[in-house]
Amino acid sequence: MTIDQVRILRGNTFVVSDDRGDIEASAADPTGLFSFDTRFLSRWVLTINNQRLTALSTDDLQYFEARFFLVPGTGTVYVDAKQSVIRQRSVGNGFREVLAILNHADDPVDLIVRIEAACDFADLFEVKDALEKQGTYSTQVEDGRLILSYRRETFARATVISSSEPSQLDQDGLTFHIQVAPHESWRTDLEVTISVPGAGREEPFILAWQSQRAATDMAQDLQRWLDEAPRLECEWEPLRTSYRRSLVDLAALRFSPITAGGRSLPAAGLPWFMTMFGRDSIFTSLQVLPFTQELAATTLRELGLRQGTRIDDFRDEDPGRILHEMRYGEMTAFEERPHSPYYGCADATALYVVLLDEYERWTGDLDLVRELEYEARAALNWIDEYANLQGNGYVAYRRRNEETGLENQCWKDSWDSIAYHDGRLPGFPRATCELQGYAYDAKMRAARLARLAWDDSAFADRLEVEAAELKRRFNRDFWVEDGEFFALALDADGRQVDSLTSNNGHLLWSGIVEDSKAEIVVRQLLGERLFSGWGIRTMAVGAGRYNPIGYHVGTVWPFDNSFIAWGLRRYGFKDEAAIVAAGILEAAQFFDGRLPEAFGGYPRAMTKYPVQYPTACSPQAWSTGTPLLLLRTMLGLEPVGDNLVVDAALPMSIGRLELLDIPGRWGRVDAFGRGRVDTRQSTRPRDGLGRE
Amino acid sequence: MADPINEFFQKIADQGHQPLLGKVRGTVRFDLVESQGGADQWLIAIDRGDVTVAHADGSADCTIRADKTFFERLINGEENALAAVLRGTIVCSGDIELLFAIQRIFPGPPRLRQTLGGSEGSQ
Repeated sequence: MTIDQVRILRGNTFVVSDDRGDIEASAADPTGLFSFDTRFLSRWVLTINNQRLTALSTDDLQYFEARFFLVPGTGTVYVDAKQSVIRQRSVGNGFREVLAILNHADDPVDLIVRIEAACDFADLFEVKDALEKQGTYSTQVEDGRLILSYRRETFARATVISSSEPSQLDQDGLTFHIQVAPHESWRTDLEVTISVPGAGREEPFILAWQSQRAATDMAQDLQRWLDEAPRLECEWEPLRTSYRRSLVDLAALRFSPITAGGRSLPAAGLPWFMTMFGRDSIFTSLQVLPFTQELAATTLRELGLRQGTRIDDFRDEDPGRILHEMRYGEMTAFEERPHSPYYGCADATALYVVLLDEYERWTGDLDLVRELEYEARAALNWIDEYANLQGNGYVAYRRRNEETGLENQCWKDSWDSIAYHDGRLPGFPRATCELQGYAYDAKMRAARLARLAWDDSAFADRLEVEAAELKRRFNRDFWVEDGEFFALALDADGRQVDSLTSNNGHLLWSGIVEDSKAEIVVRQLLGERLFSGWGIRTMAVGAGRYNPIGYHVGTVWPFDNSFIAWGLRRYGFKDEAAIVAAGILEAAQFFDGRLPEAFGGYPRAMTKYPVQYPTACSPQAWSTGTPLLLLRTMLGLEPVGDNLVVDAALPMSIGRLELLDIPGRWGRVDAFGRGRVDTRQSTRPRDGLGRE
Repeated sequence: MADPINEFFQKIADQGHQPLLGKVRGTVRFDLVESQGGADQWLIAIDRGDVTVAHADGSADCTIRADKTFFERLINGEENALAAVLRGTIVCSGDIELLFAIQRIFPGPPRLRQTLGGSEGSQ
């Protein structure tokens, strides 16, 4: 059970404690100090004269620091304390905690201040699954430091604890015998440092790098981040709140891989997914391109450096494939999990090429397009050579690591997300429809890059021919005639997996939908089976597996909706894009501007508010990016040559909107719009298009 | 008996250009620690994919140290370099990006089983 957890973080180093600042982790309880997917502190409990403390208040000052105001004692109705205690904690290479005790009495007071410390060095995967450790622990007291260590063969991790004031150290913690004068205070600085004991003279690189990193001024860094973002002026206050929230959360979600020289890419979610994910890092980079472009550049470089080069069944790796997830913990190190990195992801490879092109359209950075030509060609080659598992030219997936690999390698990755209308599950390989859209888009965009930067018009011609052929076949093979929508997938026998899903919206975004089918697809997306009034459901009401609180079979995902809105714009359905944007942004109000990963698919008229789907991770990167992409779609921002075209279609409720200093190849420009699309009718579920 | 490590580096030297290292510039030294002590050292210089190999000591932008027996398994595809680094079996110092780059030319592991494209597995 967890009560009022407090979380602070910096990159993939984070602390989760209770509201007193204490950590009392059990095998499966996810509190502690974590770094590089390993728990470096599982017990950190403060007592004064053998008594626990009570929290008066807790301040999350910033995402990287917190302050706890406490009094000694627990369980009393009235707080009648003669002392108060302040713990201020900030994350660095581990964390630093300033512990201050204030004596409010007229007499001096003698106190025994005790901090118990211990560590289980659990891998994040072990915390999830409560697995047994195989290595050995040791504890040392030396040179005024308490050192907690763990070793399994050559794998070694340690936590070093020290204090600025002298303390008695023992195997289980630190004790201070102090006297505090009347109306005076006492303070000590506690340092908890993560380390890798040298296996020789040179330290293994990862944590050594972490500890050598200069402790930059994080507050200053956050301010600079906010200052560099475009400024939003808007009459509708909830949008200003969402925008500000997204920018701050995006700052917290930045993750700097060891090879990135301090540059950052978006991690997938905070705190448990603070690592590189192919799909999440790419989608988030795409969402935020109009606001910041450095995340996309780093994502492209770092994913490129780790692109697959060989066939490795355990990691589901193929040449050219873009990774799914990277982890650094013990289970990954000993190959009990395949995340070093794991490649079981069927969409990131095409999306990698899509991001490279979209990035160039915003920045004009041809150097990066040239630098990554090899990677882009390898990615395109993967689509044709390694993803054609059904032998029919469509991108499909089937894991080769059957123990710890992922079954569903598309964004809807839960076990029952890919189902026929009658609820049955297809066999493998599965060719989901959006994968074909991404492949089409990747080929079309790569053709542009081949002419622009790679001086290879023959390659460009070939890609365009292939893309046109793919589009033609796709519109024939995936179109469900009697339902008038695109099937979710083709099964291993080439039969349609015929449920109606939000994936149709991603198809609009990719451009693979023939113009003659676009309007009917839009009608489906905004019809009452898919549109809840808050947003478009992952799966339509009436499908066999539909469940308004099923993870990928009925909930509404804000990120999904943001790309669907982009797709609606792509095909000219501006008002419909505004309706989707309005629903999601109005939902955000119920979460203080921070959109959850998903919320229930209940009709808006029924629940009046969006019912949050319970998830451990918040903020989630692509939910954080959603308001930013919706701003783009509402304003109709589109780079055309060296100019930014603005073609606003805003919900009436938003009123006047200004987005100032949008960065790009044009320098900085401003965009304006005024709400004119009446989206109120569409908040009631009904058939048909929500046109004015 | 042929020495697999010699063969591995000789093959890299013979190939000359490595497309997977096309962006890379720098020197990498492998210190392969022998069971009786001492290290077998190989120095690889990479200039935009053009690779030269020397069986020698020398300063490098990145050094990669491992037991010689472990390295034999690595170049056989039986071990994975990045997992080994996390484990501490390989110790790397200097420019880490060069380690990420050069491990790309190591071979893949033996297949778990033959998996072919096609429509098997349907139910």
